[in-house]
Amino acid sequence: MGAPVDVREINGSDLISALHLAQQAPAILGPNPTKATTSTTGTAEEYSQLEQLFLACLRTGDDQSAQACLDRLSHRFGPANERVMGLCGLYQEATAKDRAALEKCLEEYEKILSESPVNVPIMKRRVALLRSLDRPTDAIAALIQLLDALPTDAEAWCELADLYQSQGLGSQAIFSLEEALLIAPNAWNIHARLGELLYVSSSAPDSDASRLGSKSVQHFCRSIELCDDYLRGFYGLILATSRMLENGHADERPSDPTVAPKKTLDQLKGFGLQRLREIVESRSVDDQHWASSRSELIAAKELLNRFTSS
Amino acid sequence: MSFLSKLVTLFGLVLLTHAGYSAHEHTVLFNNTRLALPHDIIVETLVAVVIVSIGLVLGADKLKPISWRDWAGQIERDGGARNPYLGLEERYGFWDIRAQVEPVLAMALRLCSRVSGIVVEHALTISQAKRKEFGDWMRGQDLPAKQ
Repeated sequence: MGAPVDVREINGSDLISALHLAQQAPAILGPNPTKATTSTTGTAEEYSQLEQLFLACLRTGDDQSAQACLDRLSHRFGPANERVMGLCGLYQEATAKDRAALEKCLEEYEKILSESPVNVPIMKRRVALLRSLDRPTDAIAALIQLLDALPTDAEAWCELADLYQSQGLGSQAIFSLEEALLIAPNAWNIHARLGELLYVSSSAPDSDASRLGSKSVQHFCRSIELCDDYLRGFYGLILATSRMLENGHADERPSDPTVAPKKTLDQLKGFGLQRLREIVESRSVDDQHWASSRSELIAAKELLNRFTSS
Repeated sequence: MSFLSKLVTLFGLVLLTHAGYSAHEHTVLFNNTRLALPHDIIVETLVAVVIVSIGLVLGADKLKPISWRDWAGQIERDGGARNPYLGLEERYGFWDIRAQVEPVLAMALRLCSRVSGIVVEHALTISQAKRKEFGDWMRGQDLPAKQ
């Protein structure tokens, strides 16, 4: 692992960096990747980097390097390690040829779970596989079962929210994300995500739009409070406040104390626009540095243009 | 540590050593008279401590933000990769690997087409067989560059 790669800087959702990392796999794994190293030492950081590399290799289709990573991990932690079992399942899913092979993976997961019912990585893989096989109802049921056993798993709550949202169950999704926020109250991206969900739900025809919209504004505000110059938070704040103002949900003196008055919303919108403009100006100066978030910047510029032209 | 801070610290340490040595010699010389330490030695010690402190402060690493929003803002400005809550949105435990693969392949092909000027849009429909080919190509292309 002597290669000069800083795996921690890899943003998982960023395709270019994943590709870049996977291309370095042969260099990191050394000239003979199939032979597992005899030493069983190494820092925890090295192994988490190896895991990242494994994921990047699988994503880019470099199954051979992925297999080498997996071999090393199972050599160190043993094939019965729960996390290694999860990764192993991931590898089998990625290399599965057709639907029948995937069904076989599912059967295998169920067999493992019947032996040890609280094998969390495998439980998660099972949910993911059910979702991937277009069985969202089963996936939701399995996930709820997982959360019954482990109610403090914020990742699972977020996944549940995403599943509910994909099924059009907005209020359940919002509830799940609120649960996740109870576990990780300072997660600024989850606050922004909840704001987005509330914003989407407030556009439904039979919803309590003023209450949802106002809650959405609150969560975007919290995400900005937790993180300086958070582009996503400002973007959402502008959208949410302007919808509240346009749809006439903003009163001078609202009857519900949780709904912000019109003056505050106006001020928030102005503040959001001003800060977003500053962010966009400061970031477009050196384009290279913002390569991974370029699409965000473009979206922000479009939003600003819309508001300046109207 | 910059050169200046090293120099200042070294100077301070020399002064401190000198003061210590002087104090030692003084006690040896005036052992039985029980004279108090002369003021210049005391002043030299204090000045030396101040100089060493200044040198160390000058050479300290850049301060890290202690308020949560500054710290989080810095992470976002660096592209958000170090966000400890990124896992809640990426959710590696629930990764649908088969949905992850194709966007990467498509992106790679698009990058290639930009470089070589060849239109490969038709190649974007990638089957599992292609996935393997692509993996081999990725390895093959990288090896000579790294050796």
